[in-house]
Amino acid sequence: MASPGGQGSGALSTRGGVARRMKWALELSLGNTRGRGDRQSNQGDVMYPIGYSDKPVPDTSIQETDKNLVEKRCWDVALGPLKQIPMNLFIMYMSGNTISIFPIMMVCMMAWRPIQALMSMSATFKLLENSNQQWLQGLVYSVGNLLGSALAIYKCQSMGLLPTHSSDWLAFIEPPQRVEIMGGGMVL
Amino acid sequence: MAKLVPLLAVFFYLVCVSEAVFEDQVGKFDWRRQYVGKVLFASFDSPSQSSKKLFVATDKNIFASLNSRTGDLFWRHVDKMGPEGAVDTLLVNAQDGRLLRSWDTNVGGLNWEVVLDTGSFQAACFVGIQDTVKHVAVLKKTAISLHYLSNGHQKWVENLPDSDTVKYQAVYSGGGEEVFVLGMVPHSHLTITVYSLEDGEIIRQVTGPQLSADSGRRLLDTTVIFPLDANGGKPQKLYVHAFLKKDDSVGYRVLVQTEDHALTFIQQPGRVVWTREEALADVVTMEMVDLPLTGTQAELEGEFGKKADGLLPMVMKRLSSQVILLQAWMAHLWKLFYEARKPRSQIKNEVTIETLSRDEFNLQKMMVMVTASGKLFGIDSKSGTILWKHYLENVQPNAAFKLIVQRTTAHFPHPPQCTLLIKDKDTGLATLHVFNPIFGRKSQISLPALPRPILQSLLLPVIDQDYAKCLLLVDDQYKVTAFPSTKNVMQQLQEMASSIFFYLVDSEQGTLSGFRLRKDLSSELIWEVVLPTEVQKIVAVKGKRPSEHVHSQGRVMGDRSVLYKYLNPNLLAVVTESTDTHPERAFVGMFLVDGVTGRIIHEAVQRKARGPIHFVHSENWVVYEYWNTKSRRNEFSVLELFEGTELYNSTVFSSLDRPHLPQVLQQSYIFPSPITTMEATLTEKGITSRHLLVGLPSGAILSLPKMFLDPRRPEVVNEHSREENLIPYAPEMPIRTEWFINYNQTISRLKGIYTAPSGLESTCLVVAYGLDIYQTRVYPSKQFDVLKDDYDYVLISSVLFALFFATMISKRLAEVKLLNRAWR
Repeated sequence: MASPGGQGSGALSTRGGVARRMKWALELSLGNTRGRGDRQSNQGDVMYPIGYSDKPVPDTSIQETDKNLVEKRCWDVALGPLKQIPMNLFIMYMSGNTISIFPIMMVCMMAWRPIQALMSMSATFKLLENSNQQWLQGLVYSVGNLLGSALAIYKCQSMGLLPTHSSDWLAFIEPPQRVEIMGGGMVL
Repeated sequence: MAKLVPLLAVFFYLVCVSEAVFEDQVGKFDWRRQYVGKVLFASFDSPSQSSKKLFVATDKNIFASLNSRTGDLFWRHVDKMGPEGAVDTLLVNAQDGRLLRSWDTNVGGLNWEVVLDTGSFQAACFVGIQDTVKHVAVLKKTAISLHYLSNGHQKWVENLPDSDTVKYQAVYSGGGEEVFVLGMVPHSHLTITVYSLEDGEIIRQVTGPQLSADSGRRLLDTTVIFPLDANGGKPQKLYVHAFLKKDDSVGYRVLVQTEDHALTFIQQPGRVVWTREEALADVVTMEMVDLPLTGTQAELEGEFGKKADGLLPMVMKRLSSQVILLQAWMAHLWKLFYEARKPRSQIKNEVTIETLSRDEFNLQKMMVMVTASGKLFGIDSKSGTILWKHYLENVQPNAAFKLIVQRTTAHFPHPPQCTLLIKDKDTGLATLHVFNPIFGRKSQISLPALPRPILQSLLLPVIDQDYAKCLLLVDDQYKVTAFPSTKNVMQQLQEMASSIFFYLVDSEQGTLSGFRLRKDLSSELIWEVVLPTEVQKIVAVKGKRPSEHVHSQGRVMGDRSVLYKYLNPNLLAVVTESTDTHPERAFVGMFLVDGVTGRIIHEAVQRKARGPIHFVHSENWVVYEYWNTKSRRNEFSVLELFEGTELYNSTVFSSLDRPHLPQVLQQSYIFPSPITTMEATLTEKGITSRHLLVGLPSGAILSLPKMFLDPRRPEVVNEHSREENLIPYAPEMPIRTEWFINYNQTISRLKGIYTAPSGLESTCLVVAYGLDIYQTRVYPSKQFDVLKDDYDYVLISSVLFALFFATMISKRLAEVKLLNRAWR
């Protein structure tokens, strides 16, 4: 946009050398930047077109009060974790039962995310506050997260990380005390 | 030492074959001492002053050459044990009257060997003609033979006249052409028969009345006074070597053999040049005792041993102990600095009793050895130097010894105490010798009177006020004497008398009997197991070592369940051999008997097997080795006992409350060589895997991992057994030479191996004794708890510092660059 203005004011300057503002001409760039344009790359105070604003304008429009859309959005939030579960199942299946870095990373991620979500329940409730089924949706959300963590625990169990068998508690068994004292041997 | 050079040559050859020990570690953690035994004959090398060699022949059928300057061995020949190898006289070394051998004196090589006709040997002598010795005459009971000295061939053999009435005793050659034989008819007359050198014809015979024994010219009449070791015995035999010195006076050197089998070499003015303790060739039993703590260590132990009494006092205690440690460290630094300034020669690096104290990892211990001659030795386990000796008078030749450690060095103000029970086999009476194992001095403690013969002894964990364990002595009326018998101990004994049991095994009658103690210290018989002596004879009974600690109570299976071990501390392994030794009918019996109830937990009979049986009983397993007469090979068999998948009672073990018998798993393997002795390694906490130290007759000790002797080894491998790391079953047990723990230091006639735990969990101290004594350290699971020997502290710390500084510098440089860029 600088070029027509530049031509316009170029036409101006050839006329009189003095940049006089014409009454009805629109200057889209300031004249004093022409000479310095090549020295500074984009320091030009480019004039924006009419109606363009640099800063984002806050949306001061009235909130959508369509009940259906609100409900739909809240349900989306509530069912989010449940939708993650099939994907997690697939990831689990792919990573296998050996203990190496990739499965451990996947399991940790799968375990941590529901726990983090459960810990920030209050933020979620704030998101859901506009619907009138918010308690039900909250419940569904937490159930979904619990199912996610149960899935992570099941994965740990199938990798053999949980101390469910007696061999895991073997190290804590103390040797039994002797009740009788015994000695002797072959007759010397 | 002259023996070092050929040894080194052999070692460098072997070092490319075996990888068990690094070259620079040879001799660092292990040592070997070689002995010859009680000297029967000795002779000096040459009749001049400068002779360096001394030849001895001993009662252990050994012929050796000693360096007369230092007492070290030049070479040694170990012959067969038993009467075939016995040495009769030492001139040129005839043996048993059957073999005549000539040895080269420098190297110990055999020049020739001649088999003589059998006949009881009487005497032998060199026969010379005018200064040259060319023949050897050997006198037997009925014949005399003359042999050439160069090759041993017989020149002539003649029967002695009237050899059934006349006892011929000596043969002599005067340098002429004749050989004189002296014979004696008891209580009647002497005869001298003269044989001609050429062909053995009898030249003349002279008889005469019996002369009184008094002859010989005495050339030298001196008395020698020399210092005798106060802890040694009286002199028994003297071997005098007299020679003419340069200034024409007579000089002498004397080799004294004392009652305690020690050899002392004395030079002219009564000066002792060297001493050899040959009693150590016959070690009966030994124990290893921890060294005492230093003053600071003892204080620290004392401080932290007491009960905690609050937060602030504990903090103050900690601070004060740190101050003490700091002081000790600065004193140590100062001493190091001071010693480094002194010239090298003045720094003495000897080990003396006064400077002994426990080192950081408790790897240096005091070995207390009891020998068959009745002499006690205290030997430092790190260097092998003898620190103290003590000779017990009046010990009969076939006495039985039992060495018990009653108090260790862990209880600081009280000195450690060891008790030696010496039982005379003929009279059955026993004596106790109580001594301090660190200094060897006899303890001033009142001993109980033992009027009756003693059958056995047992050590109780009942502790006196001064921390000494109580020793019970059982006499032949089955009454018990307690030692020490203070009031405190007697009170404790009376309280726990009903839970003290002991067993006695009589192998002549084939009975095992179990007794229980009553409050008045008499005992009642509660069980008896009789194994009839017509069929089998009880050979050995072994319980478990009381200091053994089992780390895990079960084995983890492949499906993550647990198979619990049957850990019965009262279990005895009884081994019997059949009286019928025919290869088809011989058998070996193994009985596992509970010592408290007498219940036979398991019995196994190995048919067509024969002893000598060597076995080890430890934890929940028994490993035994026998000779299979049908397949004519040596076999190993292992028995393991398991309780099952559930523990009956996990808190308390009582033999009286065990209704279920354990499951027994057994497997056998073929071993390529006979063995002389066997022992298992032992560590403090039992975490390290166990190895069996097997002594082979070639003089090597094999460290066999117990993993190979596992009855669960599968024949068909499946996934579970791979989980458990079980080696698939193969009937042959390989001997891998890298498992030998004594690289080229063979030990002749190995009799026993003793293992002791050290302060480090990975290390076990091993002492093997027989004719030689060898000490080393064994690492069954490699050294998992120490940094390696040649850890490169310098390199790692310098790299660390360099990287640290590089990081700091580059961080600073990066900051500077960023700042400069921001200012452009």
